[in-house]
Amino acid sequence: MSVFSPRPEMPAPSTARGIVRAVLLTLPMLLLIAMMMTQGELPKDSLTRAVTAITYALLGAVFFLMVYKKETYKYRAALFTIVAVCFSIAFIANLVEMRGSMAVSRADMLAGETPFCHLVIPMVIIPAAFTRTIIFPGSLLEGFANIASMLILWLGASLALGRGWCSWVCFFGGFDEGFSRLRKKALIKKIAPVWTYLPWAVLLTLALISALTLSPFYCEWLCPFKAVTEFEQITSFKILLQTIIFASLFILLVVILPLLTRRRTQCGLFCPFAAFQSLANKINIFDLRIDTEKCKNCRLCVKDCPTFSLDENSVGRGKTLMSCTKCGKCVDICPQRAVTYHIKGTPVAVGSDTARILFLYPAFIFMSAIGGSMIVSALTRIFKLIATGSMIG
Amino acid sequence: MLQGFILGIASGTACLAYCAPVLVPVLLGEGKNIQRNYVILGQYLGGRLCGYLLFALLAWAVRFPLSGLQDRELVFGVVYVVLALFLVYYGLFNHRALCAGQIIEQRPIKRFSNRLPPMPLVFGFLSGVTLCPPFLLAFTEAADKVAVWQSLLVFFTFFLGTSLYFLPIPLVGAFNRFDALQKVGKLAAVVVAVYYLYAGLIKIAGGVIVS
Repeated sequence: MSVFSPRPEMPAPSTARGIVRAVLLTLPMLLLIAMMMTQGELPKDSLTRAVTAITYALLGAVFFLMVYKKETYKYRAALFTIVAVCFSIAFIANLVEMRGSMAVSRADMLAGETPFCHLVIPMVIIPAAFTRTIIFPGSLLEGFANIASMLILWLGASLALGRGWCSWVCFFGGFDEGFSRLRKKALIKKIAPVWTYLPWAVLLTLALISALTLSPFYCEWLCPFKAVTEFEQITSFKILLQTIIFASLFILLVVILPLLTRRRTQCGLFCPFAAFQSLANKINIFDLRIDTEKCKNCRLCVKDCPTFSLDENSVGRGKTLMSCTKCGKCVDICPQRAVTYHIKGTPVAVGSDTARILFLYPAFIFMSAIGGSMIVSALTRIFKLIATGSMIG
Repeated sequence: MLQGFILGIASGTACLAYCAPVLVPVLLGEGKNIQRNYVILGQYLGGRLCGYLLFALLAWAVRFPLSGLQDRELVFGVVYVVLALFLVYYGLFNHRALCAGQIIEQRPIKRFSNRLPPMPLVFGFLSGVTLCPPFLLAFTEAADKVAVWQSLLVFFTFFLGTSLYFLPIPLVGAFNRFDALQKVGKLAAVVVAVYYLYAGLIKIAGGVIVS
């Protein structure tokens, strides 16, 4: 059979049976999302109630479609992008409301009011081990995005999803995911494999330099997402330079390269947290497998993997690389349906949807827990803007 | 003599923190086993000792040559830039097992490479002459000495004290079966170079502005 022959369909139930199955599988998720979003009581004001209902319907619909259509990637990518954009809107509006601008001042930092994000985690480990101090100007327990809550969330998600964090939980990843999907065809098709080691090199360097300077070096100098969240108030040439670097990295790694390559270049070729998070794939029970007997070696998965997590050798071994984010693209695009979600220690059951569904539950719960509140917050701000002309207040 | 050693022991972790961003990528980039890594560490520490003894002589001969802030910034800025250039060279061009085609292609680099001492020695020397806080302490201590041998002895014992902290680092050789780590080490050397290049240029600019 040619690799271009029609994609073998899964043994699909009839439409009615398919819908019933999807509804039954979606119901527990709807219940969990409802509990997470309302925390037992409906919002008091009508705007928040309406926005919560819209978000709830959106999340429910996306999960239903993933189950019913037996496709993961395109629905996840769309929701992931929405979450990133909403995160940025909600975060910036929140900062402006609290501080009056996106810029964080020295006084805010000294007061420990810088929100903690997961990207800093690999940089704080070595200094914490040697100095028993977390080298970040944030609060350990108080305020939104405090250090303790982010660490607990990260630990839980790492155990449940491994590097699946980068495609299901990270509220920055949706930016390059979104830009990577805007063009139909890639203009840059070949990227030298050596660049896939760059995130590890950046991670090693940043861990060592953060230990040397006792400061979160990545946040200070290299985080592209400062451009869409917060940055230090420009009071010196050094801070101006840092701000220029943030903006340039964002434009290059999150906008231009994803557009040209149709890959998530920030996540796959630069992000040190992504490299660090790859280690979590070793302790996570979910992975993706390739049936080497079914595989016709068309290399479509290798060419299209958004995070460069497949190469010829790994396909030959029937596994993805350690950096796999479990986004589901290879599973969905394989013409032979040779790629499947898999639970470690169980037989590889190509064609079965069970492992995918079992993975979807924790992944979608984390995505909804993080993304749901961001979508609600952003939509509330947008409706306020439409009604009053201002997002603030 | 004991003073220098105790100073080294007391400030060894700071020395390690200053040297690790250069030493760790080099050890990974070489991809050797633990025993060979100790040889590389020996070369690195040898270079570092040369740098220290050079400063011991300076401390004794010139007495406080680092007191002028602008000179200090300029000198160490230049050292940082040179270190950065060597790191870039190490990360991108210093490949040992080149195929014939690559040797022809990279002939000028190869010729340059043949004239250089071992890279860990160069990095050790350049790290040894950069200005970390413990080093300044030792420098001040040595500058007080009357005889040259006393000054040298302070730096030598300081070096011995700080070197103890370097001993566990070659254990990264336990992971040398992972070929990927060699590539990571080389790339990390280039990323570290960017940091030192920036730090060097800022120091030079600061020195120029002050002077």
